Amino acid sequence: MGSTTVLLYSACPREGSTPEEARSALTLGRATAASLGGDLEWFLLGAKPSDAEAIAAEQGVARLHHCAAPELGADTQVAALEAFCAAHAPRIILFCQDFDSRVVAPRLAGRLGAGVVMNAVAIETGEALRVTASAFGGDTRGVYEFTGDGTAVIGLQPNACLPEAAESPSAPESCAFETDLGAVGERIVVIEAASSEGPRLEEAEIIVSGGRGLGASENYHWIEELAEALGGMAGASRPIVDEGWTDASHQVGLTGRITRPALYLAAGISGASQHMAGCGAAKAIAAINKDPDAAIFRYARYGIVGDCLEILPELVRAAKEQRHE
Amino acid sequence: MKIYVFVKRVLDPDAVNNYALVGKLEIGADGRSLTQTAIPDLMNAYDEQALEVALRLRDAGTECTIHVVTVGADRTAILRHAASIGADEISEIVPEDPEVDVHTTAALLAAFVRQKGTPDLVLCGRQASDDDQGVVPALVAEALGLPLVNVAKAIEKHGDSYRVTRVTPDGDEIVAVEGAAVVTLSNEVGDPRYPTAAKKLKARRVSPEVVTASDLGVSGATRTKLVQQFVPDVEQNCEFIEGASPAEIADRLIERLREDRVLP
Ligand SMILES: Cc1cc2nc3c(=O)[nH]c(=O)nc-3n(C[C@H](O)[C@H](O)[C@H](O)COP(=O)(O)OP(=O)(O)OC[C@H]3O[C@@H](n4cnc5c(N)ncnc54)[C@H](O)[C@@H]3O)c2cc1C
Ligand SMILES: Nc1ncnc2c1ncn2[C@@H]1O[C@H](COP(=O)(O)O)[C@@H](O)[C@H]1O
Repeated sequence: MGSTTVLLYSACPREGSTPEEARSALTLGRATAASLGGDLEWFLLGAKPSDAEAIAAEQGVARLHHCAAPELGADTQVAALEAFCAAHAPRIILFCQDFDSRVVAPRLAGRLGAGVVMNAVAIETGEALRVTASAFGGDTRGVYEFTGDGTAVIGLQPNACLPEAAESPSAPESCAFETDLGAVGERIVVIEAASSEGPRLEEAEIIVSGGRGLGASENYHWIEELAEALGGMAGASRPIVDEGWTDASHQVGLTGRITRPALYLAAGISGASQHMAGCGAAKAIAAINKDPDAAIFRYARYGIVGDCLEILPELVRAAKEQRHE
Repeated sequence: MKIYVFVKRVLDPDAVNNYALVGKLEIGADGRSLTQTAIPDLMNAYDEQALEVALRLRDAGTECTIHVVTVGADRTAILRHAASIGADEISEIVPEDPEVDVHTTAALLAAFVRQKGTPDLVLCGRQASDDDQGVVPALVAEALGLPLVNVAKAIEKHGDSYRVTRVTPDGDEIVAVEGAAVVTLSNEVGDPRYPTAAKKLKARRVSPEVVTASDLGVSGATRTKLVQQFVPDVEQNCEFIEGASPAEIADRLIERLREDRVLP
């Protein structure tokens, strides 16, 4: 069996359509495979998305592997990938980085004795395989070189590149990958599942976010009101989540939600790199901060230097007025 | 029971942020290290939280030895801090190459634990605030054949199993794990405790056990090398919106957002 050059791995816990992140990972994978003189392949574990074939063709995928799995716990995923790697020996395995793959990718690397780099934003092939990854919350980028020719495991940051169709679509070969996952016991048993309810910040088109500059817990309602008036969702910086002004599901940033709304309005947020890691991909950032030198203004498209407690109520009024126009 | 806590020394991320903000973050002559001596170093904050959770298990009545381990030379300061708040044992593993990668770090930590005997729990931070990688705990778990529970905020012991509360994007989740496990902790743990002055003073007299890579028989585990580090450019083009009153400023912002079709 020939060995695989670049493989994107996607876990598909439920039926649905291909997430945007997978398309951008395929775009990046296609360029990497081409520079290595090989093919791009895609491995889907679980429920195959209804548009997988179409996306694979659009992205120039040569082979689309699919393996059904009853359950997608981390142990199952690592076992399936281990079996896949034993059969296909990929040079590079790409993961779209999310909560689960942050466990599965490094565990697979450990299982294979492979090298791993997470938070990748670019891949360079030349004499050696090099990956640029974000560090210090985004304040710096590190360039890592893989030292051997073995499999390289790479976790891609959600906004590493924009998806782009291949010059000409491919006719992906569909391959069923069979491996016995029945014997894999999940060592971690969920006894009380997380109760996700309502829309997710990751999908919001408009986010109004507040930080420590709000001054006190009782002022957070201005964020919620403005979010509602604009038809968006409320976000927060980590310190105010830690303080309990709102719950963790609202935290934006490196260790919170990675969002990409059309508008991110930040009030009383300083713009620390770890916060910006979760909103830097917004199409437009508007910021209210009383400090004209605040870091947030480096990223913002629109800036207001002033007291957010004075501006927010007026924004709520203005947003409501324009809605009624 | 035996709890290992793995702690890493990192450059203060807030100080790094401040230097980066004013465009003064310096990269050394090697093209990859941050060389500013004015940036203090400290224990990775998530690792402090991991240690805090170990101490809370003890507070809750679990009889345990807490062993704090770090990879890197001259780490006495953070290890003494650990001792001052309640670590029973402190060890420093000196790698062959000071620029150790995550793979060698994990191999050293796993070999150390193997040499000392089976752990009941291995606690780590969810990620190190310098490299942000969050991979060492998973690599250690694989090397030791243990399950990994990541991004936790609380651990309870129930007989031979643990109940771990994880902070997931969909809210808190409670999982059970039977027997030994690697668990990574997050900031949701809350503030770690401080040492009393007396305990701080007492800790100044303890010295960490020092173990070398060759003592552990670890070599050739390197898989990646940091070859360059740089500060990315941020394109700055902020349009400041002004006005005579908050109401006027607010109206102008909404107007501008509509003009630019950012708002419908
Ligand atoms: C490993 C790691 C991971 C992290 N992950 C995250 C993360 O996921 N998300 C996150 O948010 N942070 C994260 N952080 C923390 C991050 O570094 C910052 O500390 C945090 O984002 C700061 O929050 P803030 O902007 O609300 O508070 P501050 O930095 O205190 O800023 C408050 C701002 O409000 C302004 N202000 C004060 N009063 C007013 C007023 N009346 N009107 C207008 N402006 C006012 C001030 O000028 C200041 O700029 C992480 C840190 C580390 C080390
Ligand atoms: N040099 C080190 N010494 C001890 N523990 C470490 C070291 N590097 C990483 N760790 C542990 O692994 C966690 C994740 O680190 P990283 O994978 O580098 O992001 C840290 O929070 C520590 O608990």
